[in-house]
Amino acid sequence: MSRSSGFTVFARKEAQEIWRTWRRWVLPGILVFFAVTGPPLARYTPQIVQAVAGDQLSGLEIPTPTYLDAYGQWAQNLTQIALFALIIIYGGLVSAERRSGTAVLVLTKPVSRSAFVVVKAVVNAAFVATLLLVGTLLTWGLTAAMFDTAPGAALWSAALVWLVLAIQFVAVMTLLSVLISSAAGAAGAGLGVYVLASIAAIWQPLADYTPAGLASKAVAAAAGQDPAVAWPVVTSLALSVGLVALAATAFRRREL
Amino acid sequence: MSAPAAIRTTALTKVYGDTRALDGVDLTVPEGSIFGFLGPNGAGKTTMLRLITGLAQPTSGTAEVLGRDVTQAGNLVRAEVGFLPDVPGFYDWMTAEDFLRFAGSLFGLRGTLLDQRVAMLLDLAGLTGVTSRVGGFSRGMKQRLGVAQALVNAPRLLLLDEPTSALDPMGRKDLLEMIASLRGRTTVFFSTHILGDVERVCDAVAILDHGRVVAQAPIAELTAAYGERKVVVEVTDGADELAALLAARPWAASVVRGPNGSIEVTVTDAVAAQHDIPAIVAGQGIGLARLEAGEMGLEEVFVELVGGERR
Repeated sequence: MSRSSGFTVFARKEAQEIWRTWRRWVLPGILVFFAVTGPPLARYTPQIVQAVAGDQLSGLEIPTPTYLDAYGQWAQNLTQIALFALIIIYGGLVSAERRSGTAVLVLTKPVSRSAFVVVKAVVNAAFVATLLLVGTLLTWGLTAAMFDTAPGAALWSAALVWLVLAIQFVAVMTLLSVLISSAAGAAGAGLGVYVLASIAAIWQPLADYTPAGLASKAVAAAAGQDPAVAWPVVTSLALSVGLVALAATAFRRREL
Repeated sequence: MSAPAAIRTTALTKVYGDTRALDGVDLTVPEGSIFGFLGPNGAGKTTMLRLITGLAQPTSGTAEVLGRDVTQAGNLVRAEVGFLPDVPGFYDWMTAEDFLRFAGSLFGLRGTLLDQRVAMLLDLAGLTGVTSRVGGFSRGMKQRLGVAQALVNAPRLLLLDEPTSALDPMGRKDLLEMIASLRGRTTVFFSTHILGDVERVCDAVAILDHGRVVAQAPIAELTAAYGERKVVVEVTDGADELAALLAARPWAASVVRGPNGSIEVTVTDAVAAQHDIPAIVAGQGIGLARLEAGEMGLEEVFVELVGGERR
């Protein structure tokens, strides 16, 4: 029994679990919803505001929306609601298997605890990347349909920056779900990490050189700006690897 | 050189806070044996199995499984071991066949071998043709599936934690027969508090109480050793008066009146008792119908060893 074989079999189980349980619907549903509704909302914002506010805003001139507004809406939804959902969904990524007893049956077979943790992080990061690809394609196509033009650079650079942020939070939740037995507790701690990162990003050096700046840079990229993302991306990826390694180490020491 | 052991623990100790769940356990399970690990609830049986499977780390002492230290060996040991926990947890979204295929694949089984093994184990578990998800299974069905998954790798060592506890009488009978059929091919180590199961299939037994092994031996040897400490006397008449006299002797730990004229005496010194009793009977002027060493069943041995100190 090779080490890679156990890794592959467990990875296949993890992918099947996504496909055959509620995980198949929740995060995909949220992302598809925002992908489908974002471009029309951006396109018809002036008309919607006009219909809702009537003559009360007659003096206010709403600028004509562009494809960048649709991109911006997608990026905002990703960095806020989609990330919150991700944090909550992955609160029990590892602890749920400990509580249900499935981890005991798996880990008394030739699967190492490190592989158990790393597979979960990798498969779910790949799942999020797939969802992002589908959602961004939908946003791109609908934006092109609504605005007649949809240059891809701003949208895809924003999506890629968010992907790095999402992978980082999958890693954060992997670690937290090893350390905290309660899924709700881990989700709460994950939201705390998000809030702390948002506060940290107020200080410009942290926003420019650490993962704390990723969310604002994703939004800026979607707005057609060209933010410097190299440092936040590299430090975030390094942090993600470190967090998963830490999770694996902590899980090896845990009693089941 | 010591005999090959499937499991060997040395001064194995596990402490949780102020509680010593296991306290210096020395245990040797011979390879090929069917070994019963008996103990009352809370004695430390599940803790022992968690240490043997590497799910928990010992506070001190060592545990070797199939000749390897479990804290170091990892996949090498796990590849040769099958394990059924006391309450097996399954992925509710899988079917029984899905889980057995998954478990077999983790052991590197593929293709026809995996197909045959899964079909055979589904049959063994009485789950052939059951296509519903495990989430809807009864506890007994889950227990049978748990036994099947523990056998998927044809293990050298099968570890079962309270395997019959959730089974109905027929399921229990089938499982015990299956365990007996593994004799000589697979070492089976199973924990239980059901003495009948142990008497029925086990070659040897260890009795655990308050985290300590209080006895460890082949069953016949264990019952014989304790049988020597029991004497049965049967007299023609005057059994009650004789029982009172025997109870006053220094070697009499307890005296129980049996049917007719029989008296069961648990003794602290069998030789002294066998010398004294005929003289006492003769002194009473009554007829001695029978005087012999009594036989204790495993249940009586168990009660003798752990019953007196139950908290």
